Amino acid sequence: MFTRLARAVLCGPALALIPLGAGAHEIVGNRFFPATLVADDPGVNDELSLPTASLFKTSDIPSVNELDIAVEFSKRITDDFALIVQPTWTHLYVPGGPLGNGASGFQNLETTAKYRVYKNAEHEFVLSVGLVAEWANTGAKSLSVDTFTTYTPTLFFGKGLGDLPDAVWWARPLAVTGVFGYAIPSRSRTIIATADPDSGDVTVDNSPNPRFFNWGGSIQYSMPYLKTAVNDLGLPDFFNHLIPLVEASLQTPVSNFAGLDNVKTTGTINPGVLWVGDYFQVGVEAIIPVSRQSGTSVGMIAQLHLYLDDLFPTTIGKPIFGGPVTPAKPF
Amino acid sequence: MRNKSIAFAFLALNASAMPAAAHASLDHSDPRVGNTVKSSPSAVTLWFTQRLEPAFSSAQVTNASGAVVSTGASVSGTVMRLGVRSLPPGTYRVHWKVLSVDTHTTEGNFTFRVGQ
Repeated sequence: MFTRLARAVLCGPALALIPLGAGAHEIVGNRFFPATLVADDPGVNDELSLPTASLFKTSDIPSVNELDIAVEFSKRITDDFALIVQPTWTHLYVPGGPLGNGASGFQNLETTAKYRVYKNAEHEFVLSVGLVAEWANTGAKSLSVDTFTTYTPTLFFGKGLGDLPDAVWWARPLAVTGVFGYAIPSRSRTIIATADPDSGDVTVDNSPNPRFFNWGGSIQYSMPYLKTAVNDLGLPDFFNHLIPLVEASLQTPVSNFAGLDNVKTTGTINPGVLWVGDYFQVGVEAIIPVSRQSGTSVGMIAQLHLYLDDLFPTTIGKPIFGGPVTPAKPF
Repeated sequence: MRNKSIAFAFLALNASAMPAAAHASLDHSDPRVGNTVKSSPSAVTLWFTQRLEPAFSSAQVTNASGAVVSTGASVSGTVMRLGVRSLPPGTYRVHWKVLSVDTHTTEGNFTFRVGQ
């Protein structure tokens, strides 16, 4: 996810993949943290994003359109530990080009192992750690996927502001989430030899595989929280399900990028809105590149996200291992 | 047409006839969350989004000093009713903790005011 975009920007192939959040909703006391679309969120749950679709223009010159369609399946092994699998299909094409132009295929498969370390209901705080892996050579060669695996140890957190004082009651529905990861390629360099079909000359491209600091998060304003925990304003029910938010997903090269051009922080800012129900949520956001190296125009991302723990609480929506559910303790 | 069918199918996921049962979240209350009532209510009523397990669902009302002013809770389906003593003007906090019929536990709290 994060690493894909950054690496594409630095190395220059047409593929410039937008990161797609591997997240799950999380309930911490009064606070409901929804699954976010771009920046990974701290949730550990049984969920299915089917699909997440994004369309934007890459940073290449000239730029090409990129359509990504991703599926994310998150499965709890225990109550606090989940494995997430996220295949993504990509279509690259020249705007206005002939029908069928461009390249298509799956990106390298991405998996995440996430463990919820700490949860504090009173202060609406949750902390998780994870290991994100993008597996080498599991995608289509036509997309010039990486020939090395990238491992990203990652820290996730979520904090609701429900413990603010009464004087700023209107700010209590706010929440922030954050994600910080360090992307480590399994090989420090990629060497590709190419033979000219006419002359037979062989050229060798020897490029470093940079390490990145991946960072981002979201700022959310929860209308459900406003209604049920702060002030029921009597709004129409539709508005009480909305969570306007702004996400950010950024990548900063940290080391091993000597000799590469465009060594800068890249990423996107994503304003949008989620509608959350009892069993699913839908979301749509704009994709705004933070620089020319991050993209060439505003794109869009949309997602349908199913809460498997609510849809199928006795089968695939519960942890594989774990003790009996702890009942609520009467006061 | 097919797109419409898909949309309706997903909307149906939220219908009350859904056999599954999601987390029980607070839907609304009387007195309303964060609102002011002129005089002491005879009870505080909470409506949840799912049916509750009465044996493992409870709530209480406390005053500004933390003293409990509710007299007990009763649960029927998705509704919980809390009896309260006569409440003088002030701010009161409702703490709730419930178990939905699919064994999800949720909790929360909110305030309302009397006569201020």
